Amino acid sequence: MEFYTYVNIFEQKGLEYLLLLSFLALFIFLVKYLSGTGKNAPVPGEKSSTAARARKR
Amino acid sequence: MNNTAVATSEFSRVFRFVLQELKPRGKWLTPFNVISIPVILAGLVILYFRFVYGLGSVTNLNQYYPLGIWIGFDVVTGVALAGGAYVITFVVYVMRMEKYHSIVRVTVLNGLLAYIFYAGALTLDLGRPWHIINPVIGNSFGYNSVLFLVSWHFLLYMITMAVEFSPVVAEWAKLEKVRKFLTRLTLGAVIFGITLSILHQSGLGALFLMAKPKIHPLWYSEFIPILFFVSSIYAGLSMIVFEGTISHKVFKNLIGGHDGHQYEEIILGLAKGAAITMFVYYFFQALLFVHEKRWELITDFWGYWYLLEVIGLVLIPCCMFAYAVRHRKIGLIKVASVLALLGIVLNRLNVTVIAFRWYDVSKYYPSWEEIVVTLMVVFTEIWVFRWIVTRMPVFEKK
Amino acid sequence: MDRRQFFVTSATAGAAVLGIKRSHAASEKEKQEFVGVLCDTTRCIGCRSCEVACSVTNGNYVPDVKNDNALEKVRDTSDKQYTVVNRFKTAKGEVFVKRQCMHCWQAACVAMCLVNAMHKNKEGPVTWDGDKCLGCRFCMVSCPFDIPKAEYHSWNPRIMKCTMCYERLQAGKKPACVEACPTDTLMFGPKRELMEIARHRVYSHPDKYVRKIYGEHEAGGTGWLYLSAVPFEQLGFRTDLGTSPYPEYTKQFLVSVPLILFGVPALLLGLHELSDRKEELKAGEWAKPEAENE
Repeated sequence: MEFYTYVNIFEQKGLEYLLLLSFLALFIFLVKYLSGTGKNAPVPGEKSSTAARARKR
Repeated sequence: MNNTAVATSEFSRVFRFVLQELKPRGKWLTPFNVISIPVILAGLVILYFRFVYGLGSVTNLNQYYPLGIWIGFDVVTGVALAGGAYVITFVVYVMRMEKYHSIVRVTVLNGLLAYIFYAGALTLDLGRPWHIINPVIGNSFGYNSVLFLVSWHFLLYMITMAVEFSPVVAEWAKLEKVRKFLTRLTLGAVIFGITLSILHQSGLGALFLMAKPKIHPLWYSEFIPILFFVSSIYAGLSMIVFEGTISHKVFKNLIGGHDGHQYEEIILGLAKGAAITMFVYYFFQALLFVHEKRWELITDFWGYWYLLEVIGLVLIPCCMFAYAVRHRKIGLIKVASVLALLGIVLNRLNVTVIAFRWYDVSKYYPSWEEIVVTLMVVFTEIWVFRWIVTRMPVFEKK
Repeated sequence: MDRRQFFVTSATAGAAVLGIKRSHAASEKEKQEFVGVLCDTTRCIGCRSCEVACSVTNGNYVPDVKNDNALEKVRDTSDKQYTVVNRFKTAKGEVFVKRQCMHCWQAACVAMCLVNAMHKNKEGPVTWDGDKCLGCRFCMVSCPFDIPKAEYHSWNPRIMKCTMCYERLQAGKKPACVEACPTDTLMFGPKRELMEIARHRVYSHPDKYVRKIYGEHEAGGTGWLYLSAVPFEQLGFRTDLGTSPYPEYTKQFLVSVPLILFGVPALLLGLHELSDRKEELKAGEWAKPEAENE
């Protein structure tokens, strides 16, 4: 029937904070990754755009 | 006296102009027309039966699945995919990132039409649609209802998007004074529209908060509203990429003068936004996974289904977006956006239809009539979209 | 007069004024006490008189109780019948259970209805108003007991569910099913009294009943209460519904709405002002080439 026992609804809280910290670190990595450019990709867009602008001029 | 005469002549000019513009242009027998016209006609016949003999005559709805794909796909998913309008207006008008200005008009148009048609599809699903005015006219305000809020927000947001788009219409009808006046309303409409969007995107999730015992615990949480809101951001961004890809193929002649490099930059920017938002969304899912001890639930079919959605259609497209941005691979961005959109469709259908009453022996499957009507709604929207972009200055800059 | 004295005096004076109102409100409340029905499944013989009485009273489909063999399989209420009796074979023999709307204290369907078509009357019954209803069927989605049923095969569908015979209650009569019951399975009255009776039965016959009154706390408490000899799961009851009233689940969201409606526009305007400077900086990058293009 009905039992009266203690239920800890924050049982996982410590794990959640660990998860938060790891995701924060990953997030910084992601943002850095996104704002940088690849090693082999020589940013073709920039070149073509300057070329296009030069042509227009 | 003179003024009235001018106004009358102006009015008749606009009237004649609109009449002339209503005529179809171009070839009739395109593949799209050949498919869509029969579907739309069939849809209309089905709707006749639906309104005369009731919902049960054409849908597979029953007492345990009161919502089918007309709500689950047309309304809940359609609105999420239309989230691009508020994201882009935020970026352009609030953050003033001029880079994205060239896609504002087409995105807002898409949003407006999506709301008119997909939220409009709601009326097809209502048992007594002639009472639809009741929540608005105040004879029976159900303040306590999330649905009350969502319906008001749909209405108000459609108006704000119409205001955001109205300068284009005025420009098309060559009403310069009206256009100037309407342009001044834009910022207010944008700010109001973003606020409404935040609330009703999350509100659509909140509609299912009280269905707690009926939604599979992997999809139910008290944070559904937040998940719906965050996912609507990347849904909107992915949809812009997806629609842009199609538009650039179909309306090549209209977009012709477009600076290809600038467009590429826009796509990259959108993908960057989508990657970050999806990462945040994935974090929320991971947090819920831990908080609700979901590892106990992932060993059966529903667990795999959940992992497919959260890892296969959120985490993987997220990584694809990030990789594609870094290496400037436009093609990969398009693939990722399709995956992300599939993830959104799956998520919304899971909450509303698939994982709804997962324990039930007799599940709901949409009838062919429901699918035809859904396609009809989509096709009609594309017809109107095509009519507008071939006439109004949607693709041109400013 | 010091501060303490001031408080005491004003409090007394206030109480004198408010006192009349308070007692008036209390007596009003007593009159409006929620009613309910106690259903003791150990007494039910499965005669289904309640089904017939219900359908006759509400103008619904009247089952042919003698010949239709309906007890063979477990049924649910439908758009044609507000109540059904089911038979369950248990360790303690056949048990008959009547099923109908539970008339929740804080009903999910009422909280979900955007036009107040679902209405919690002050006497306790939850009733439906067809002049307001849109037919959105979100009452069906939210109801934890799956009670509201839609008429899918009508151009003008109604939402069908037990009304606890609201019209009869207003005329001072009992619900039709209670009146028709030949075995005192059903007992009508204020929930407070029914709870006392139910507890008394459970405590004085601990071997006969399981020590639970279904409906006492389920979904925040319901108007209908059930007593049983076997665990309720065996009788088709859901025991995983929780004890919080269902409207509570949307409370946090609804509370945050005004906050967002005010806060977000303010935030956005602020961002808009802040981004002014940014545009000046960016002007060199984006505005210029375009001006050249045009």
